Amino acid sequence: MELFIQQLVSGISIGAIYSLLAVGYALVYSVYNFTNWAFDAFMAFGAFIAFTSISSLFLPFWAAGAISIVLTIILAVSAEKLAYSPLRARKAPRLFMMISAMGVNLAIVNIINLIYGGTFRKFPVDALQPIFIGNVSIGRTDLVAGGISFVVLALLWAFLYRTRWGLGVRASSIDILTASLMGINNNGVAIVVFTLTGILSSVAGIFYGIKYAVYPMMGMVTIKAMIASIVGGLGSLPAAIVGSMILGILETMVSGYISSTYRDLFSFLFLIVILLFFPNGLMGKSVEEKL
Amino acid sequence: MKRTTLSKWSGLIVALILLASSLLSGCQQEKVLKIGFITEQTGVDAYVGPASVPALQDRIDEINAKGGIGGYKLQLIVYDTRSEVTDAVAVTKRLIDQDKVVAIIGPSWSAAAIPIADIVDAAKVPAIATTASNVNVTVKEDGTLHPYMFRVCFIDPYQGYAQADFAYNKLGLRKAALLTDVASPYTVGLHQFFENHFKELGGEIVAKEGYTQGDTEFRAQLAKIKDSGADLLVMDAYTYKDVGLAAQQAEALGLDIQIMAGDGVFVPELLEMAGPQLEGAIVTTGVSEESPEFAEFNAAFEAKHGVKANIYTYYGLDALMAIEYAIGEAAKKGPVTPTAVRDALETMKDVQLFTSVVTMEPDTHNPHNKPLLIMTIKNGKWELLETFQPQ
Repeated sequence: MELFIQQLVSGISIGAIYSLLAVGYALVYSVYNFTNWAFDAFMAFGAFIAFTSISSLFLPFWAAGAISIVLTIILAVSAEKLAYSPLRARKAPRLFMMISAMGVNLAIVNIINLIYGGTFRKFPVDALQPIFIGNVSIGRTDLVAGGISFVVLALLWAFLYRTRWGLGVRASSIDILTASLMGINNNGVAIVVFTLTGILSSVAGIFYGIKYAVYPMMGMVTIKAMIASIVGGLGSLPAAIVGSMILGILETMVSGYISSTYRDLFSFLFLIVILLFFPNGLMGKSVEEKL
Repeated sequence: MKRTTLSKWSGLIVALILLASSLLSGCQQEKVLKIGFITEQTGVDAYVGPASVPALQDRIDEINAKGGIGGYKLQLIVYDTRSEVTDAVAVTKRLIDQDKVVAIIGPSWSAAAIPIADIVDAAKVPAIATTASNVNVTVKEDGTLHPYMFRVCFIDPYQGYAQADFAYNKLGLRKAALLTDVASPYTVGLHQFFENHFKELGGEIVAKEGYTQGDTEFRAQLAKIKDSGADLLVMDAYTYKDVGLAAQQAEALGLDIQIMAGDGVFVPELLEMAGPQLEGAIVTTGVSEESPEFAEFNAAFEAKHGVKANIYTYYGLDALMAIEYAIGEAAKKGPVTPTAVRDALETMKDVQLFTSVVTMEPDTHNPHNKPLLIMTIKNGKWELLETFQPQ
């Protein structure tokens, strides 16, 4: 039982990290119908900015976090303005958008690699000691990361459902062309969406860096988040979170009770089965109800 | 009109340059041998290349300044493998087909070295793997030799055997857990030989867990290992990140266990990443950056290049010095061809390389009796416990 609870706790904490990333994918996908492969580069960028702010500029954690968020927003919006928006303006097929995103991703990751090198760095904050309940350990870092993720996601929800700008984004996610005919500023929506992407990737990058390590290829984990958002139901925010939790817990349980060696094999087989029965993902909705 | 004149002029200039360069090369007649070096400059193992390339280039410059070897100047051609097997294979082919190298240094890991062995055999160009320690790098599955593949490090069975021996006899441990990177022939090979010898001695393997390269999350496996009652965690990872993260997560789970790892993680960066969590861990390796014999080299290297030397630097130099020796021997007998270099490498006996004196075993292409060090981490620093010599 103790082992089961320990595995469940680990699974939820992994799911929380996947959630932030999966929501970022879902957001861009729901509005622009393409997978933003550059997301993992934004995440690594956010982590490295925070890392440098603390280790070289000796700034406190909150200031480093704020700088990282601001710069990652600038990066994400620039990527939109330089690499995606010109393609959309020329009515390029979606596949080209994805390839453009891959290009942005490779470019940023390689620049980070050139500047910092490929080593794995410890994020320069003191590790928080875990809390033990009986023999079960609960990471304090996980609790903080989980709490902040929850706050960020709640704010995102409030923004989308309680503000005029949020309404604009939601309208665009249903039909971007009609929305612009109704007087919604397309360029404004793009800036809002990529600003949100920047915030999510920066926060995810910082917590991933604290929990594991900071390195140029750290964004590789986003592939899991993308899978989670597909399983949940692409384009829906709550579905992305549900998908992330399922994937996180599934992975730990498979490792713990079936085989850690074949973890990915069993986890992904299970996901294929889910998709066979729910082709739109578990909570996949019709177009009218996206986001 | 103006445009035509310009293109006429530029055509004439190009023709003149071509003529001049062909005349110049005609009178110089300098004999140059190209040596290929395939290494990891980007990707997950990007800490390998930057610490090796400058060292090898320095050595080549030194040799050329002294007039070369056997009447030949040397030229180093470096390609990045991006830490991917497919890229490692592609650049090997490029070195052979386009650059016409006389010998190849690298790669550093077995998963790439095994397919490369077939390529160099077919092309008849010798290659020296640096830190690829899987048996099948130089000897095929059916026991026959790869005639053109060599290595300068020791092989897996030797390291796995030593780890089991040390854990059982010196540390008195009886219950071992294995945490294996199942996609890495390096880790799988080491653990197979660890398991065989540990059981042979009377020990027990109480948990066998796996993961794949790129994973950062080990808590599920570590929780199971904690549950199994193991007193030893053997994690011969190829990348130090794996051991660093596992050590941090083991501490977070309250798992107090002796950790043991192989030379794949023997780099200074491991200490920066998880020094306190790895206090007392055992790491086996062929050479040590901490050995006083390398202190002078390390200091000079870091001062000149701004990068710390690591074991990949030393093994890279070992391979280059073996090739130097072989070129010298081949030049005594006739023109230096890839096959002549190969023949000289195979019969190499008591030759001083960078890390030690090496004799090549002609039937396995492995260095004979290369010493193995048992290292530990004490006060956040590498410390030598003892040297283990094969019987």
